[in-house]
Amino acid sequence: MNARIKIDGVAKQFGDLSVFHDIDLEIGEREIVSIVGPSGCGKTTLLRCIDGLVEPSAGEIRIDGAKVVGPPKGVAVVFQHFGLFPWKTVYENVAYGLRLGGASKEQIRESVPRHIELVGLRGFEKAYPYQLSGGMQQRTGLARALATDPHVLLMDEPFASIDAQTREILQFELLRIWDSRPMSMVFVTHSIEEAVLMGDRVVVLRGRPSSVHEVIETGLPRPRTRDVLSSPRFNEVREHVWSRLMHEAEQAERELQEVR
Amino acid sequence: MSAVPHEVTLARPFQLGAGAQRALIRIATGVVLLVAWELLVRYFAPPFVARPVTVARALPHVLANHLPPGTPTFWGAAGATVTAAFEGLAIGLLAGVLVGLTMGRLRTADRLLRFYVSAFFAMPIIALVPVMTLWFGYTGTVRLAIVSLGAFLPVCLNVYDGTRSLPAHYVEVARSYHAHWWNVWFGIALPASLPYLLAGFRLAVGRVLVAAVIAEYIVSLKGLGYFILYDGRTFHQPEMMVAVLFLALLGVVVNAAADVATRRLLPWYRRSE
Repeated sequence: MNARIKIDGVAKQFGDLSVFHDIDLEIGEREIVSIVGPSGCGKTTLLRCIDGLVEPSAGEIRIDGAKVVGPPKGVAVVFQHFGLFPWKTVYENVAYGLRLGGASKEQIRESVPRHIELVGLRGFEKAYPYQLSGGMQQRTGLARALATDPHVLLMDEPFASIDAQTREILQFELLRIWDSRPMSMVFVTHSIEEAVLMGDRVVVLRGRPSSVHEVIETGLPRPRTRDVLSSPRFNEVREHVWSRLMHEAEQAERELQEVR
Repeated sequence: MSAVPHEVTLARPFQLGAGAQRALIRIATGVVLLVAWELLVRYFAPPFVARPVTVARALPHVLANHLPPGTPTFWGAAGATVTAAFEGLAIGLLAGVLVGLTMGRLRTADRLLRFYVSAFFAMPIIALVPVMTLWFGYTGTVRLAIVSLGAFLPVCLNVYDGTRSLPAHYVEVARSYHAHWWNVWFGIALPASLPYLLAGFRLAVGRVLVAAVIAEYIVSLKGLGYFILYDGRTFHQPEMMVAVLFLALLGVVVNAAADVATRRLLPWYRRSE
């Protein structure tokens, strides 16, 4: 496996609060790595470190051998809050990354409709975000990220604020898109099922400050279809991750009781 | 100060009936006021005091500039005032946006300037006219300066408020797509602050007209303010009232234009955020 992203001894502190430490992780060129952990474990912060939005307190992150010091080229993020600009139409939101990247008019005219089509939003080019459902807004966010033709896609709990049915549809659409153009993907989620469904490997963060508790190879076949959800292997991995995290959740609950 | 319009269009279930009724009530109120004015002045005031009938009679020759030689002409005055008002609005808008954005995005600029901008906003800037006549003489520059300042302050403070309330995640998204600082200022902070900017612009319109007219009173400049002052003092009250009503009309028209601009520029701004 060729590592595209190398995370080497990374730690992050906010003042006295240590969020995570000693994170070592490598993510391949055509690999989806899910990061799962209890809320507050710093998985989103870790993702921001990979995109150079947050500077690690220790250690370093390299993408294609280059140390990350700011948002690197070829890396795109899909945000939990969608991050669409309400004054821009779907078309303009999708074009945003390309325009900032200095793409030519021809490139934009070619790429934007293609990606709007790819995420199934044809006909909504002129709609404003407030006119779209949450699922459609995140489709727009995904199209905006993919339009910049990234080789690393960072997903920050992208489907967390989307209703359950739409979420499942989007999960499989994302998998379908990934199958057609595989790339490095880091998929942060608090949903164990989602982590197992998406990932080639599932990284479990645990502890306070958190660190990599376990990395699990899902060993599920690609392309992944809905059949995966009912396979014995899927259930086995899910139960395994579940037991790892449940222990942690119970402990946190107990600590909270003591504080009260 | 930051009275941001929360809804751009209101759904009206009984649009036609209610609208017609409202217009009727509005007209009826106007008629009652005009009749009361006419009767009160006709029977209780000296004959030179303007009343609707004499104003209506003065209207044609005022609008046709048929005034005694040596007296200010109406359209010349109106042109001077409106020109100064629009120049001041343009200058104030541009400066207000730039300074407001700078104060909103740079903490140093905020600390340096905001106290003074707020203080100027709170004080009646008309009080500065006599000082300015010392600086600029009894010239149109005084009017332009006071009008520009009057437009600048509300625009600046509103853009500042808008920029300060910019959701942090917009900036994060922009940075993630390699935005430079100017992309964030003019591509993110400014459009996100547009509802605030337009609210500030409405305030600016009112302040600009007040500032222009009062500057003309004090500095004796060609303009509607001086037209009103001159005709008032020379017992041409009906002529004076034409200018007063024109100013009222101007305010209404510019506000209506601001409404249209709001609807055109903010199709995305429907919900309170």
